[in-house]
Amino acid sequence: MKEQNMRRADFVMSSFLIAFGVAVLILSLAMPRFQHLKINPYSVPGIVPGFLGAVIAFLGVVLFIRSVRQGGFRLALNSRALRDFLLTEETRRISLTIVLGVAYALGLLGRVHFMIATGIFVFAFVMVFEYKRKEGFRAQWKTVLWGAILACVTSVSVYSVFAYLFLVNLP
Amino acid sequence: MFQGLQLFAEAIGGLLTFRTVFDVLWATQLGIIVGMLPGLTATMGIALMTTLTFKMAANNAILILICMYIGAIYGGSRSAILLNIPGTPANAATCMDGYPLAQQGKAGQAIGIATTGSFLGSVIGMFAMALFTPLLGTFALKFRSFEFFWFSVFGVVICGNLTAPKDPLKGWIAGFLGLFVAMIGMEGIHAYSRFSFGSTDLSGGIALLPAMVGAFGFAEIITVMRNPRMQVVQTKIDHVVPRLKDILPYWKTIIRSGIVGTIIGVLPGVGEDIASWVSYDMAKRSSKHPEEFGKGSVDGLIAAETGNNACVPGAIIPVLTLAIPGSAPAAVLLGAMLIHGIRPGPLIMIEFPKFIYETTAMVLFATIAMFVLGLSLVRTLVKVLLVPRQKLMPIVFVLCVVGAYAITGRMFDVGVMVVFGVIGFVLREMEYPMAPLVLGIILGDILDKNLRRSLILTDGRIGPLFTRPISFFIFALTVLIILSKVKFAQDAANAAKRAAAGLFRRKGAGDGV
Repeated sequence: MKEQNMRRADFVMSSFLIAFGVAVLILSLAMPRFQHLKINPYSVPGIVPGFLGAVIAFLGVVLFIRSVRQGGFRLALNSRALRDFLLTEETRRISLTIVLGVAYALGLLGRVHFMIATGIFVFAFVMVFEYKRKEGFRAQWKTVLWGAILACVTSVSVYSVFAYLFLVNLP
Repeated sequence: MFQGLQLFAEAIGGLLTFRTVFDVLWATQLGIIVGMLPGLTATMGIALMTTLTFKMAANNAILILICMYIGAIYGGSRSAILLNIPGTPANAATCMDGYPLAQQGKAGQAIGIATTGSFLGSVIGMFAMALFTPLLGTFALKFRSFEFFWFSVFGVVICGNLTAPKDPLKGWIAGFLGLFVAMIGMEGIHAYSRFSFGSTDLSGGIALLPAMVGAFGFAEIITVMRNPRMQVVQTKIDHVVPRLKDILPYWKTIIRSGIVGTIIGVLPGVGEDIASWVSYDMAKRSSKHPEEFGKGSVDGLIAAETGNNACVPGAIIPVLTLAIPGSAPAAVLLGAMLIHGIRPGPLIMIEFPKFIYETTAMVLFATIAMFVLGLSLVRTLVKVLLVPRQKLMPIVFVLCVVGAYAITGRMFDVGVMVVFGVIGFVLREMEYPMAPLVLGIILGDILDKNLRRSLILTDGRIGPLFTRPISFFIFALTVLIILSKVKFAQDAANAAKRAAAGLFRRKGAGDGV
């Protein structure tokens, strides 16, 4: 990350940390003290999280002051900067990886059989990163075939190894 | 001393069975492959292996995990040399001189030197482990709640300090966020569910393994996938087995890096990557030819690889004696030991005295296997590096999901893995190190219980937290570490130094007259 962007990121993160630390502190203070059970007042559940919340908020303040001094508050958010960021190849690849991962782990699994979900995921992953739309299917049928073979082999082998050899639960 | 040797010999004898040797060989080889593949780190490899081995007998499972650990930390050097991409973060310093050597057509020699360095590093670390684990274990028996509280804070602070040398503030933030994560769920004294907002899943807490698989597995996959291509250096791999005359001139570097690596391993959470950089840096400073570093210096390569492998046994020392991991992979190892019913910590010298020697013997077996396997099958294994990442990463992700799910069988853990993966990636982009975060998750529980126990014992007086000798020592050390990185303290120290120097100068000048 570039130096200037890092200062901006620090500014945003420090604001979040302060809010988060304070929220943790408030929630910790609101935790029950079990006075009716006559427990030792120094063993109440909120004592350590409260301490941690205060430390996180304090570290957030230090980061906040530093980032403000370095000009990190000038966020320079405009549509052009945002578009430039979103349209880079790197951002596209990162977001695709996250979307595919989330769709498989939190969407497909548990709803569809493990082998089918895994097959679809592996095939989709290979296609998304390897198949070039401009070149047409004829030029790349081998890529599609290899993707499909990899998907089948992965789903069957992972399932059999975990379920039968190592007797592990699968989603 | 002799009893220790006898126990060690017995442990080696106990491991000399066909089944064990077979396990050592496949697990180490698999570790080397896991280490070689960028995107699959040692932490991830051990986490996956924990899932696969958790129905095995405790000793077999731990042996396999140690082999995976040592194999992976070494295996990462292979891709560092041939691809200029560290296979695991521990091998980043290896790239500096390993890759230039490969470009000069000396890939085989570089692999041989890296293997020997790793082997010797592991051996030095193993000796330190055999010598110091029982001593530290006996000393740790003096630790009470007060000491454990300060030690947890010390762990997060030193880990944050060393894993984010450019900006320790971010290391400390990561550490305290980790400590907070450990607060989620039911606490250990009154069984009150903290920060669970009525969710039964959250009241069970955030488990270490899914969080680690996310932060070190999924986050790594995203990092690997962001760049389009990687290139294997086109070079002939000639003789791999190093000659004695190639290694002997560097004996000082080897011993220095071995000791430095082991010490860094012992420090909580500060793992192989830092060990390797510090060893590299020290070798550069004491070299007669520092200008060769970064251009294919054998000295630099040997320092990096000796340092990171010496760190492995070093990182296991606090796992056994204090139940506090010396590195991220060691944190998974600690988790695995707990799953298998072994309770590491100060009582290990009383409850499982043989286990320390058994673990040392396991490290010995894994080290020998790593050396032998590292020098063979080199050309065949290069093919593994040619597997395109878009084909490999979906498989790794499937393994991440299975690894997160398998131990407790909760879909919630898969969610934890995904969330920690994304958060971990974003935090890493902003230069927050992951090691203190993970260490915080482990230390959170220790800190929570021990601070409250101390306060109960003293009836709310905080005095004993500072007046007990060991407690005060750890506290003072923690404060010094923080102050050493705070600007106004640095300025004050410099001003004091100048004032003192001025005082002596004046005095000296007066004497002269």
